Amino acid sequence: MTDQSTAPGQGTDGTAGEGFLSIRGLTKRYAGFTAVDNFDLEVPKGELVAFLGPSGCGKTTSLRMIAGLVPATAGRIVVGGQDLTTVETHRRDMGLVFQSYALFPHMSIARNVAFGLEMRKVPKDEIARRVKEAIALVHLTGKEEHKPAQLSGGQQQRVALARALVIRPSILLLDEPLSNLDAKLRDEMRNEIRDIQKSLGITAIFVTHDQGEALTMCDKVVVMNEGRLEQVGTPVDLYERPKTAFVASFVGRTNRLKAVAKDGTAEFAGQRVLAPAGLSGPVQVMIRPHRIALSPSTGGEGVTGTIARAIFSGDILQYDVDVGGQIVSVELATRGGETVLAPGTQVSLSWRPQDIFVYGAAA
Amino acid sequence: MQIMDERPVSLTLKILAGVMFAFLLAPLIVVLPISFSGDAFMTFPPTSWSLKWYPAIFANSKMTAAFWTSLVLATVVTTISLAIALPAAYALVRLKPAGAEVLSSLFTAPLLLPTIVLGLAILIVFARLGLLATFPGLVLAHLVVTLPYALRVLTTALATLPIAVEEAASTLGASPFTVFRRITLPMMKSGLIGTTALCFLVSFDEVVLSIFMTGPRISTLPVAMYHHVEQQADPLVAALSVLLVVLSLVVVLVVDRTSGLAKTFVK
Amino acid sequence: MSAATALAPALPPRRSRLRLIVALLAPIALINAIGFLAPVLNLARMSFYEVEPTGAMREVYTLATWAKMVTDSFYAELIVNSVSVSLGITLLTLVCSYPIALYLHRSTGTWKTILLVLVISPLLTSAVVRTYGWIAILSDSGLVNNALGALGLPPQRMMFNLTGVTIGLTEILMPYMILALLAGFGRLDPRIEEAASTLGAPPFTIFRRIILPLTLPGIALGCLLCFVLAVSSFITPKLLGGGRVFLLATEIYDQAIVTLNWPLASTLSILVLVIFGGALVLYTRALRAIL
Repeated sequence: MTDQSTAPGQGTDGTAGEGFLSIRGLTKRYAGFTAVDNFDLEVPKGELVAFLGPSGCGKTTSLRMIAGLVPATAGRIVVGGQDLTTVETHRRDMGLVFQSYALFPHMSIARNVAFGLEMRKVPKDEIARRVKEAIALVHLTGKEEHKPAQLSGGQQQRVALARALVIRPSILLLDEPLSNLDAKLRDEMRNEIRDIQKSLGITAIFVTHDQGEALTMCDKVVVMNEGRLEQVGTPVDLYERPKTAFVASFVGRTNRLKAVAKDGTAEFAGQRVLAPAGLSGPVQVMIRPHRIALSPSTGGEGVTGTIARAIFSGDILQYDVDVGGQIVSVELATRGGETVLAPGTQVSLSWRPQDIFVYGAAA
Repeated sequence: MQIMDERPVSLTLKILAGVMFAFLLAPLIVVLPISFSGDAFMTFPPTSWSLKWYPAIFANSKMTAAFWTSLVLATVVTTISLAIALPAAYALVRLKPAGAEVLSSLFTAPLLLPTIVLGLAILIVFARLGLLATFPGLVLAHLVVTLPYALRVLTTALATLPIAVEEAASTLGASPFTVFRRITLPMMKSGLIGTTALCFLVSFDEVVLSIFMTGPRISTLPVAMYHHVEQQADPLVAALSVLLVVLSLVVVLVVDRTSGLAKTFVK
Repeated sequence: MSAATALAPALPPRRSRLRLIVALLAPIALINAIGFLAPVLNLARMSFYEVEPTGAMREVYTLATWAKMVTDSFYAELIVNSVSVSLGITLLTLVCSYPIALYLHRSTGTWKTILLVLVISPLLTSAVVRTYGWIAILSDSGLVNNALGALGLPPQRMMFNLTGVTIGLTEILMPYMILALLAGFGRLDPRIEEAASTLGAPPFTIFRRIILPLTLPGIALGCLLCFVLAVSSFITPKLLGGGRVFLLATEIYDQAIVTLNWPLASTLSILVLVIFGGALVLYTRALRAIL
């Protein structure tokens, strides 16, 4: 289930198969169920990769295995050529930013940030210097002597980040760090984290269930579902060329329609659509709402349907169109001056061949 | 607490509660005046006033010896309780062996037994082991009742610590022992203080077990007081009681100042 | 991509972890074994030993001591007495504690903390101190009798009898009952009472039909706690009863220390445990019926 889909201009280091972080066959089995199943991934140095998926998909478990907090059942974790699979957490040289920040409540911000350096026996004056730098990097200068309880959620988040970065880890791991922040802060922090990561050139993995975060922040996205890797690719890749029904519906909005396939074509609402060879029987047809063109029907060719509902929401005009018994949502950007077509109107729908995806029926 | 309308407490309830409170605190309130009584016997209200009973405590060799024994005993028992219960709590909560719940119940079981039964049981076994009326025997007997308390408080304190913080320290390079020393222990501060205060008071006030375990050669303060009251009920015990109550209050105040009373004991 | 190398990571932790756990738990297990398990098991065994007429104990198994429990009227009375007195005390304690608990539950802020401290403070002192206070109140020259005398009323004998023991023990057990009640008051919600009020219920009905039923779990817990504490209480009956009140705990002490009839004392102890067990069973049944 691994993928070679890469976009032009990926990380400079390493050829395919020789990433800075190399994960091979990573598996985690608990009594009764498998949390992570045979996970393979190569991450070039300096790349920001997202692990994206719904809760329970195994993304956090995978991250924690990389950090060493959870022992792997099988598989290998190699960083910069060193096999870290059996190395204990405190010797892996990774920085982990927790969802709950996990700051030391009994220590000041400065002591919190200094902790990792103390563990590495860095000399005192150097600690003081690097701590000052790290705190400035996250824009918290002046708050060094405060205790975590005195800071806001966003500030605590930044301390957690500084603490993980100051040790200059080989890999930065972030476990849904923005989930506990409100929407506005989240956007701010997204950009900050992205900028800092790029400026330091540090390899990073970012776990999230929010596809918006994954797409806007990361160089590559790993989509996971039920412990398995569905697809790895750049945000554009995943959006334009989803390899599975899950990826198509998880990343971006999509219509999900039923059809029947036979000998390489699927019949859908009178139209024939190319289906992957070898697929026959019931299939899922997916197409994104804003990749459909709609016009009042002139009774000619093409897919026809009847408008069931028209919803105007300012930026977007959405039509739910009844096509052969199934509802297809169409989204049009409003330009002003258009007439909203009434329910019952006959319309024609059309799309580009590359915008329609056909997959096997859901299990 | 609630911003909503405060329910006015009915007058009947206030009066009832007040009467019951008076009943509840009666013995402690009564003891104070008697300690200043000038009478030879415990009459209430005293017919005369005097401070003579306070120095009389220190003149009574049996009492002073018993006091020192209790003090040293409580200190020793508290220290040992912490030293034993802390590792046990860590093992049960963080290392989570199979059957941790059963073990935990087993170790707190002594609290379920009435002290009279426990006292008898220990008497019989310790008599055979030659531990009766010895200091080590007393320490051991006290440990049996302080350890369950210590274990309960410490396991609760440990279980409520956010484990992510310990994990964070681990990812930053701290070995498991360093995590325990620099992170877990400081975060458990209020639990540790609460355990110390609890063990000290439990041991210091322990009377039933101690009655079985003491003799003419060695006695604790509560036992000495018990025997004294059995023989003659005079104001000496009142003066002593006042001092003990003050001691307990001091301990409670120290706990409150350092870590907040409610936080330590109300889970 | 490379094929999945199924290399199970060698987990050094496993065996050394077990050793660590054993090492950390050994001390407490040891004390528990020596100071609790062994003595209690031995106690059970001892109740079956024989006691010769001379008072010496022989390590021979016999049911004689147990038979005595059933046949000797003194012991039958002792057991019945202890249980009934304890039940009475429990009820009394409940009645006295409930108002305090309810008032505490409705208090807030610093006042509540002060009250809580006042309730807990008696627990911080020894049973001897508290019983001593009661002697001062109940004795012939104590508070109550002097007050009665001042009012021209006849003196009452309240020490060296069951009355004194009952009063003293009730007060001593109140903090436990109050705390148990408070724990069970969690289900009380002022809004439920308000709803009842708007539906036309006068205050006492609200208490009887809403508050009381909702607090039953706390009541059950408090009663269980106080009952077992009362049945096994020793210091207060001994001092306030002056050796003239015979309850299970005082009898155990006398047989153990004075008469040195350890098998008999052991048998009585086992009986106490049996009564405990019975109370616990009743409690769990009651709880199931309530919830």
